[in-house]
Amino acid sequence: MQANNRFRLFSISSVWLWLGLFALLPNLALFLVSFLDRGETDFFIPVFTLDNYSRLLDPAFIRIFWDSMYLASISTLVCLLLGYPFAYLLARSSKRMRPWLMLLVVVPFWTNSLIRTYALIIILKTQGLINKLFIWLGLADGPFSLMYSDFAVFMGLTYTLLPFMILPLYASIEKLDVRLLDAAKDLGAGTLRSFWHVTLPLTLPGIVAGSILVFLPALGTFYVPEILGGATNMLLGTFIKNQFLVARDWPLGAAASTILTLLLVLLALIYRMSSRKAAETPLTEKGKKKGAADA
Amino acid sequence: MKKLALLLSLAFLFAACPDAALAAADKGEVVVYNWSEYIPQDVLDEFTDETGIKVVYSTYETNDAMYSKIKLLRGQSYDLVCPSTYYLHLMIEEGLVTTFDHAKLTNLGNLDPKLMAPPYDPENKFSIPYMWGSFGMIINTKYVDREKAKTWRDLLRPEYKGKVILSDDMRDTFGIAMHAAGKSANSTNPDDIKAGYEFLKELHPSVRVFDLTAVKQAFISEEVIIGTSFNGDALVAKQEHPDLEYIYPEDGALVWIDSFAIPVGAKNVDNAHEFVNFLLRPEIAKRCQEEFMYSTPNLGTIELMSPEERNNPALQPTDKDLQKAEYLLNVGSKTLMLYKDYWEKLKSGF
Repeated sequence: MQANNRFRLFSISSVWLWLGLFALLPNLALFLVSFLDRGETDFFIPVFTLDNYSRLLDPAFIRIFWDSMYLASISTLVCLLLGYPFAYLLARSSKRMRPWLMLLVVVPFWTNSLIRTYALIIILKTQGLINKLFIWLGLADGPFSLMYSDFAVFMGLTYTLLPFMILPLYASIEKLDVRLLDAAKDLGAGTLRSFWHVTLPLTLPGIVAGSILVFLPALGTFYVPEILGGATNMLLGTFIKNQFLVARDWPLGAAASTILTLLLVLLALIYRMSSRKAAETPLTEKGKKKGAADA
Repeated sequence: MKKLALLLSLAFLFAACPDAALAAADKGEVVVYNWSEYIPQDVLDEFTDETGIKVVYSTYETNDAMYSKIKLLRGQSYDLVCPSTYYLHLMIEEGLVTTFDHAKLTNLGNLDPKLMAPPYDPENKFSIPYMWGSFGMIINTKYVDREKAKTWRDLLRPEYKGKVILSDDMRDTFGIAMHAAGKSANSTNPDDIKAGYEFLKELHPSVRVFDLTAVKQAFISEEVIIGTSFNGDALVAKQEHPDLEYIYPEDGALVWIDSFAIPVGAKNVDNAHEFVNFLLRPEIAKRCQEEFMYSTPNLGTIELMSPEERNNPALQPTDKDLQKAEYLLNVGSKTLMLYKDYWEKLKSGF
């Protein structure tokens, strides 16, 4: 029993130490730097200023911010539309098949995402795989290229981030009690209706969790749009990277990054609200039990 | 009991580690932080075989990344870095690099005097040139008429619309834009920089891609037909696509020198000297040059070249080619901010 306690203490404290050292501390440092001034020869000097945030009100930055939001939103939507049916099939497939299908979702993670992004060039470029396939099928008469376009960026982001959507969706769909769907059917609800009124509300936490996990990296990833999109437009990730590396303007980069963190906090709050709401739905027994336990 | 044995053997393993590290340190090591694709692995191996000095090698893709790291580490952890002109200038000004002892560099005499004593380091106290080259124009002669690609302004021709590639390096791209506008690439006059920006703004709709690392690929697969390139990249791409040609625009290319420098906190300064001296040998420099196709500052190496290589202007430019060319120098943080603001404006469509 005592050994068990010691193990508990050890594991909990190591998790806290890890989070504190590698998540909290860097973000705290970033937050502090965002209120400091930049020096002539130093990355930042200890002089308090709000200037960095007011500099973010520049129309160029606002444009960069909206372009990034647009890109991230569309990618998230595409991931959701592709990921939901995928996760549904995964959760409803036979127990024997499931680990294999799951493996297929996870396998791409074994290769570095930067390398996978470069590999996409071979598929998308002029005379690339897609181009050759279209010519072979007679759908195109000559060389065309999908590289350096918005399409390429969406494809790259969707491809890289899809597993982050599928995994939480799978977890929440798998938990879904099939008896509830049977009950809905018995009460005369059609497939569409029972999906809309039963499946969707109960899997909402998975949808929100997956969307957050896709949206934020899509907002911050700079290499996918840079490599596949041609970098003719600047995005938030590149903007932040440039402040730190090219312009050596750490406080401004820190301010932009802090805004991103605040957005994350906001989204986390939305997630909490949505999972509460799902738990409160009177349909579930689990929800009732949980509600009782909370009270 | 088994667990105990396992724990003990683990403990021994950890205890043994520092010893192993010490043994390596006896022979000595040199920690090199260099551009990626810059020294062939077999050259590094040969250095270790010959001297017994272990080479700990790591790489970077941009000067910016290297500079930030060296600055954050206050010049410690690395024994050699290889900054380009304007970053070397900045690092010398900020005291991040220390001096070489020329007496230990017996092969120093091999270097071309033309490339020695640059404006930022007039006695080469801090820097020993490793490679140099130019940042000029590359065209695909299948689609681009040589007569219609003589100056940077020619990039604006409507027939190249959507087929232009520019570097995603702010200073490089602004440098050629300032040349197109007839200004110096190192001007700190805001009007000159604005003139450069106006040129880029006019050019922006024609640009297909701003790129740092895949210039070769973009030309080989004909995604683009005209744009900026380093001479080395252009020559490597030409090996796969013979229609490509490297050009020195009449309004002036940019010239760069990458030089070895020793960060102030370097621990293995003697080994760093030995490493640089090794690379200054004509036959070693030849192997580095051949692999990556940049220009060598080593006169001994040039003698070893075939006449064909020696007379290839992309590899060994003539004085006329470089008539209006400039080195990029450090312009100070105020001007850099101005560049950055214009760069963001350009890329966000304002």
